[in-house]
Amino acid sequence: MAESKQKQSNKKRPIIDVDIHEGALYEDLLPYLDNPWKRYITDSDWVMEKHLPYPIPGPDGLNRADAKTPDGRPAGTDLSFMQEQLLDEVGHEYGILTSAFDPSPSSMHGWYEMAHALASAYNDYQIDHWLDKDERLYGSVHVAAQEPQSAVREIERVGSHPKMVQVMLPIDDRPWGDPYYHPIFEAAERHNLMIAMHHNEPPSYYGKYPRYFVEWHCVMPNTHMVQINSMVFNGVFEKYPNLKLMMVEAGFTYAPALMRKMDQQYKALRHEVPWIKRLPSQIIREHVCFSTQPSDELSSEEFMTFVDLMGSDEMICFSTDYPHWDYDSPFQALPSLGEDLENKIFRENARNFYPKLQNTRRPVSQ
Amino acid sequence: MKEIVCKKDELQPGQTMRAKMGPFPIIVCRTPDGEYHAFNNKCAHQGAPMSEGVMCGASVPTDTPGEYDYQKEGEILRCPWHGMEYDIKNEGRMLADPEQKLKEFNVSFEDDDVVVSL
Repeated sequence: MAESKQKQSNKKRPIIDVDIHEGALYEDLLPYLDNPWKRYITDSDWVMEKHLPYPIPGPDGLNRADAKTPDGRPAGTDLSFMQEQLLDEVGHEYGILTSAFDPSPSSMHGWYEMAHALASAYNDYQIDHWLDKDERLYGSVHVAAQEPQSAVREIERVGSHPKMVQVMLPIDDRPWGDPYYHPIFEAAERHNLMIAMHHNEPPSYYGKYPRYFVEWHCVMPNTHMVQINSMVFNGVFEKYPNLKLMMVEAGFTYAPALMRKMDQQYKALRHEVPWIKRLPSQIIREHVCFSTQPSDELSSEEFMTFVDLMGSDEMICFSTDYPHWDYDSPFQALPSLGEDLENKIFRENARNFYPKLQNTRRPVSQ
Repeated sequence: MKEIVCKKDELQPGQTMRAKMGPFPIIVCRTPDGEYHAFNNKCAHQGAPMSEGVMCGASVPTDTPGEYDYQKEGEILRCPWHGMEYDIKNEGRMLADPEQKLKEFNVSFEDDDVVVSL
């Protein structure tokens, strides 16, 4: 109803959307795979391991029921339909592609050579079919992070592409701040890439899954907290001062509690992490941004309380999560926040976050 | 306000002692180089008695994750409860958050007496 009203008025919102899930079928990746990897898919019907014990209970599963492409392919796999339904309809200035790898190659629990081949094929597919075909779209470098040296090779291979803005890491059962993974961050920093983390299928209860999807989905912020905690206390941002982290798809309302808890614990336990030289909340304010979706549906007053508790209005970036079932509308998901703050959240915070966007500005209609 | 808290040789380097300045409980510390310092005997965090803690060193800031460099032996006071670390020779400032510190008092000497004053 509300979207229809917006459409009738032809109003646009020139956002920088930090979470758009483009997708691909295995057949889309075959032209980018060498053998034996291609053969394992065509001859052996290989698919990546799955973890979740439940279906995603939207009316059409993972995706918006109206986002299936006109020819019946899965939502998010057709650029022209995404342009029509999302980019043109909303009026995007830019969108950051985060992919629909499910799970990510970095989440595979074995056969990392295949994970690397898939990530590499996907990066080439993404460049050819999306980044090079729509000036609004920017992308994520996918890697097989289980083996940092192969991940570094992939970052070196495609990281300098002018429209690759971040390295994507899944949130699952590996805390990425561990120094074992630091070569990935060093390579990202070398190429002016930021790090984005998005949950795939993380266990959230001591390595296991709760009984119901609603339980799993409600505590997703817990798994994001684990990663921020890991990145900060393992000294990633002290070691790579130009690196920043975008936490995608757990909202931002958990941030103040985490920042406060980390400061409180640091004051007593600093001796264990002497490479951390300032309060964790200061590090988070300088290095971490949070995407808005899924919106916690706050009032204006409630929203501002969280901003005050975070101590900055430059850490929150709008995201739609298109085409997933819990998509957030740029016209409806957030309360009225005033022109200045809306300008930051819908555009400028993301532009400031990504070095490759800082000197770009598309003329857009409002 | 001032108070004689002890004789100089009653407190050896590396030792602390409880004392009072008027009604206020204080802790007097003697660092390994022989300096005397006096602070309020209450942790700036939750008021624990600092005299029940330990005088020790600390892992000083390093530039490499995983690298420890233990220094300042005898110059750090650690709270007996949560372990907050205070730098005796840096105005009693908390290592983790230098904005917070133990209230420090002046120490002077009158003949062999150690005198603490506001």
